[in-house]
Parts: sequence; C-alpha cells; structure tokens
Amino acid sequence: MSDPRNRQYTNGEITVFWVPSKCIHATTCFRELIEVFNPGRRPWINMEGAPTRKIIEVTNKCPTQAIVWKQNTDLSEEERANLRQTVREEENPETLATPTGRSEEPVNETTKPTRIKPTNVRIMKDGPIVVEGQFKAIGGDNRELKPTTMTSFCRCGNSRSMPYCDGTHRKIGFTE
Amino acid sequence: MEKVNTLFKVNEGGPLEVTGNFRVVNSGGKIIENKEPVYLCRCGGSSNKPYCDGSHNRNGFSI
Repeated sequence: MSDPRNRQYTNGEITVFWVPSKCIHATTCFRELIEVFNPGRRPWINMEGAPTRKIIEVTNKCPTQAIVWKQNTDLSEEERANLRQTVREEENPETLATPTGRSEEPVNETTKPTRIKPTNVRIMKDGPIVVEGQFKAIGGDNRELKPTTMTSFCRCGNSRSMPYCDGTHRKIGFTE
Repeated sequence: MEKVNTLFKVNEGGPLEVTGNFRVVNSGGKIIENKEPVYLCRCGGSSNKPYCDGSHNRNGFSI
C-alpha cells in the first residue's frame, strides 16, 4: 500500500521516487544538487537539472532513502502507469509535517561490531540537528521517545512536530 | 537496545541535553564538541548557537 503523497519523476532514463514519510530533512539532496532538488519550487524535483549520473550520485546519499532511483527499464507496471499520471498538488520535504524517526529493521546483534561508534550529532546550517547512531531519546517527562537510529531535532523553535524537525525553519527564514 | 551509547533529553521549554559517547559536527563535517554534557539550543533564540544560552527563559519558548 503506497502513500498517496509519494511521487515519482523521470528524465526518460531513470525515475526518482520521493517518499515524504521517510524524509528527516537531512537536506543532503538540495545542498548537493539544488538544480535538481529544490524545495522552493513545484515540482520540487527537476529531472532536467543535471545529468543522470549526478542525480544518481546525490540520490544515493539520502540517509533515509526518502529518495531512491531506478532505471526506467526496471520499472514495474504500476510504476510505469504512475509516470503517466498527471502530477497533482506538489508537496516537498520542507512543507510537510513529516513524522520523523523511522522504524528500523530488527538488528541482529551477533553480526554487529562490538565497538560502537560515537553518535554523530550534525548541526545543519540554518536547519535541524541531525542525529545518527546508537542512541536513546527521552522527553521532559523522562518517557522514551520512538527508538530509531536516525532522526532530526528542531533547532528553530517553531516545528509543529516537536521535538522533531518538520521543515518549518525554512519557511520562517531561520538563520544561525 | 543495550548498545545505546548516547542519551538525548528533550527538556520541555529548554535545550536538548546530550550525554554519553557522541560528537557534535558542523555542516562542514568538522567536529566542534565531543565532551559531555552538551546543551543544544531548541528555541532558536540563543546568541551562542548551536549551544543554549538560556534565551528560552526570556522568549517564552515552552515546548
């Protein structure tokens, strides 16, 4: 069952799939390739903005697989049909109130290295705190928040899905 | 989740408190802090970002 907010875009050669529910606003895509991934534009993905090779390179860097790609020759029947659909009202990663924290596959502890890397706490410029690693988050009442290995915390003070980022920083023009 | 090595505490109306084994990096990938605890601004009003400077007490930040 697919989310009606999901989108797909093609340049005739490859198709990029956008799954907003997976986006944690790590902002990798548009910091690296604004010509293609521009949250201020509709549609927000412009497949003509860069060569296929470059689009693949940046799509592969998405930490949550909110954007993924496929060769058009590998598309399923349903995906092919979706490409012909008229694009309805566009949504993008900066305007959606995205549920953050994705559910993870169960971790097989025996295959994991014994030494744990320090958790990475990335301060995004004019954006959220992106956290990745083996961590636990608790609320003010000491209740544990949804377990995950990657999430993003609001830094602008205005998210509507506190304590997580929902992209509001961009709308209000949050700067350091 | 026994392998958890870092704790994030979301203080209501206050900063994000980080303890344990972690490193804070800026958007350029440079490590700017790795000693615990660290208090990161959540209200958007700190003059010492990304760290908390107590501004949340003055700007009415409550969530």
